[in-house]
Amino acid sequence: MSLLRVEKMTHYFGGLRAVHNYELAIEPGQVRGLIGPNGAGKTTIFNLITGIYQPTEGKIMLDGTELNGRAPHVIASLGIGRTFQNMLLWRHMTVLEHVKMARYSKLTYGLAGAFFGTARRYQQEAESEEIALRLLKMMGVEQVADQIVLNLPYGAQRRVEMARALAMEPKVLFLDEPTAGMNPEELLQMMDIIRQIHGELGMAIFLIEHRMRVVMELCQKIQTLVFGEVIAEGTPEEIQNNPKVIDAYLGKEVVQ
Amino acid sequence: MVFFQNLINALQWGSFYALIALGYSMVYSILMLFNFAHGDIFMVGAYIGFGVSTALVSLAAMGAFALPGWLILVLTIIISMFLTSFVGMIVERVGYRPLRDAPRASAAITGLMIGIILETGNLALLGAERVKFPSLIETTTYDLGGVFVTNKKIMIVLVSITLSFALHQFIRRTRWGMAMRAMAFDFAVVPLMGVPLNRMAALTFALGSALAAAAGILFGVAYPVLDPYMGILIGWKAFVAAILGGRGSVVGATLAGFLLGFIEMFVPMIFPSTLRDFIAYTIVLLILVFRPHGFFGEAYSARLRL
Amino acid sequence: MEATSEKLSIDKKQLLSGLRVAASRIPLLAWFLGGLVAVALEQFIGNPFARGIGLPKVPVLFGFVIMLKKPFLIPSAVLYVVLIYLLPVAVVARLTAASMNRLAAKLLDLKMFLSVILHLLLFYAVLHIWAEMSDYRVLVLKLMLIAVMLTLSLNIINGYMGEFSCSHPGFMALGAYSASVFTVWLFADDRLFGPALLPPAIGPFLFPIALLVGGLVAAVGALAVAVPSFRTRGDYLAIISLAFMFIVKSLIENLEVVGGPRGLGNQPDWANLPVVFATTAICIWIINNFVRSTMGKALNAVRDNEMAADAMTVDTRKTKILAFLFGAFWAGVAGGLFAHVLRYVNPGTFGIQKLAEVLAMVYFGGLNSVYGSIVGACGISLLGEALRPLELYKWIIIPLLLILVMIFRPTGLIAFKEFDVKKLVQPKKMAD
Repeated sequence: MSLLRVEKMTHYFGGLRAVHNYELAIEPGQVRGLIGPNGAGKTTIFNLITGIYQPTEGKIMLDGTELNGRAPHVIASLGIGRTFQNMLLWRHMTVLEHVKMARYSKLTYGLAGAFFGTARRYQQEAESEEIALRLLKMMGVEQVADQIVLNLPYGAQRRVEMARALAMEPKVLFLDEPTAGMNPEELLQMMDIIRQIHGELGMAIFLIEHRMRVVMELCQKIQTLVFGEVIAEGTPEEIQNNPKVIDAYLGKEVVQ
Repeated sequence: MVFFQNLINALQWGSFYALIALGYSMVYSILMLFNFAHGDIFMVGAYIGFGVSTALVSLAAMGAFALPGWLILVLTIIISMFLTSFVGMIVERVGYRPLRDAPRASAAITGLMIGIILETGNLALLGAERVKFPSLIETTTYDLGGVFVTNKKIMIVLVSITLSFALHQFIRRTRWGMAMRAMAFDFAVVPLMGVPLNRMAALTFALGSALAAAAGILFGVAYPVLDPYMGILIGWKAFVAAILGGRGSVVGATLAGFLLGFIEMFVPMIFPSTLRDFIAYTIVLLILVFRPHGFFGEAYSARLRL
Repeated sequence: MEATSEKLSIDKKQLLSGLRVAASRIPLLAWFLGGLVAVALEQFIGNPFARGIGLPKVPVLFGFVIMLKKPFLIPSAVLYVVLIYLLPVAVVARLTAASMNRLAAKLLDLKMFLSVILHLLLFYAVLHIWAEMSDYRVLVLKLMLIAVMLTLSLNIINGYMGEFSCSHPGFMALGAYSASVFTVWLFADDRLFGPALLPPAIGPFLFPIALLVGGLVAAVGALAVAVPSFRTRGDYLAIISLAFMFIVKSLIENLEVVGGPRGLGNQPDWANLPVVFATTAICIWIINNFVRSTMGKALNAVRDNEMAADAMTVDTRKTKILAFLFGAFWAGVAGGLFAHVLRYVNPGTFGIQKLAEVLAMVYFGGLNSVYGSIVGACGISLLGEALRPLELYKWIIIPLLLILVMIFRPTGLIAFKEFDVKKLVQPKKMAD
């Protein structure tokens, strides 16, 4: 059985059909890619699966649990971690606080712990701090743990955001254009990081990308989305040679 | 009979609320902030009106010119609106412009503080003695089959509706009005299109303050005794009316002002009059719970920029 | 000429930085000890000394009031403050710094809890002896501590959570009235509530319960605001909470059972200085615990970006409602204390003016900061008392000051600073 399964998902914004009959099946440990031109509906698909929007039709299952109709934070704690295209960070919080925050649903000390500082709270906070620091180290940003995240350079912010998503211990990690706005050098580093996450933590990754090179090198299977519909699905080679994909990306005239 | 009598009174109070609410509404829709000093600008407007009319009356008495009372009143309204608009612009310049990039809550605090300064400043300048607005027009009472209507009440309602209508036309028809509407739609982009932000803000405050001054003078005509704290309660009520009207809606703010007047006048018909505020605000609360966007306009959905 | 003035300014700078370094090596314990000596000194020789230098009596608030009332007494007042307060504090703190540092280190090794308790006891002793000189001081101190609770609890909502709530006077009123009803009904012979039901002797022990009742009632009231407000985002809360404040006020005005607009008096005199101090300390401790936990930090996440908070498993709606109720609870407790300090409340107290006052304290002191709330509440309260002789002009100076703070530090004087108790009580580094 697939880890994450989406069946016949359709979504309308008012009268506009943004996603049509979208199907997805991610196996444990798989790295999947979703490509497509601007406005094809890639981020909408992320937002639908993570509960920010409710799909008009269709069914979403994660590891045997239905996700439809659940609040975003519930879906997140069930095991979908994500990053955002435009990096949604908290402007007054430190790097460490960012990553620890993602452990929110794992904390069980409750209000008593929060108000009175019970032993259980300090133990759990210390635990999540340890996990957070380990992840920051993995991302290579542990030395800035106490800084306000907005003071960091762009690349480091991306890493913090990724560490934050990992701290939830997700079953599937959604990355929304992780290399957006990066120069070639940063791009290579980011690809290494994604490989490392996949290698060390072995989790399934679902990736939206603009840059062909990134998806082609990282993903085992790729979908191409145009106007909310999947026009091609397959291995990187299949996608690269698919005439429909070339059409969508480069326009018809070039092919002719 | 009682019903119609209350209707007349409700229309009169609604006029005050509507004129003041327009100022709140405009500032909110364009600059996204609550101008908590607005109630006190109403008070300042009333006092300026008092000053202007007293001056005109004494000039007339000295024989400088001979004008009928109603003309003096018209002149008072025009001159005071003009003068109070400068008060509004000064408030914007001193209290709000330096805070344009600050959290909006901080601007709300400066507004509150400017309000306190205006009240206290008035008290310090004029002393604790209350002043009395000169009576410019004779009160004539018309008996409409048991319902008594004074010419003053009719005038108040007419002036207020005329001014609201004028503002509506200004916003809809003029270039400045168009720029204001555009800013209400997107605050960040419009200045990039060549609309001078500072001048727009000043204009908004000037217009709102002028209307508040008109309300202040009309209030003085109906209730001649002025005091420095008269703007607080009426100001907050008008603020609530502005909210009810919906963000940036001139029609909405006007109608909500009148609605608040109606609620306040008709509640005592059914319930003990001490429950007036309680029921009025409960109705307001219920309306907001079920219609978060107010009657017209968009939701108050912006986040505090912290 | 120019050279000398430059040299002078350098000297001054050196002096200042020297003082700062010296001060940074003195632990809190030593400061408290200094304070203790100063207030003891005042207790013993304050009156004769004050009269000796031409003051009518011991200046009640560090000489500010007397300076504004009688400007020609300024030199005497300054002399008094320097000789009775500043000098003893500085000398004792400096002299005992080394030994107190060792003590602080030992205490911290033993148990932080003990260290904090000792600090609090010492601090209370200083306040107690200082306040004993006059009833006025006691009252100012109590109201100031209550203001700290109010400010801190509003800071949770307006600062940590970044919403704009206007209903704090309403919560305070709910707390004040329900706590008062509890105590007056049970323990006082009252015109409205009849004779006492329980022997007054056990009353003081049940006073915490009265305060708890006040807080809980306020929290229940807050639920009425929170549930509709947090469905949609943004300025909605500001408006609903404002309406709520007016509703509570006029509701109480119409409740003849609790005295209506005439107010409710006859509260037993249980809110003495130690009780107010202890409640404030507990309030600060719990709120600080909360805002420093991940559950409390979730408020900041919701404020800074709600969508991201949601995606990181934070239950944003629950977090917001909970924090709102939490803030309201402490406002209710503060209200209950307030009623028992003044031993009379009326609905007029809990209106726009109170709102402006609390908001001013929060934004003056600093958002998202326990230090800020303490500084804001104490600063505005003390300023209000100290400028009293100016009468009317006080209400121009304080707002003006606040406008300046807003313009130059829009988030307040000490915003976004963690209140770390351990840092506060630990020994300070000594020069090698």
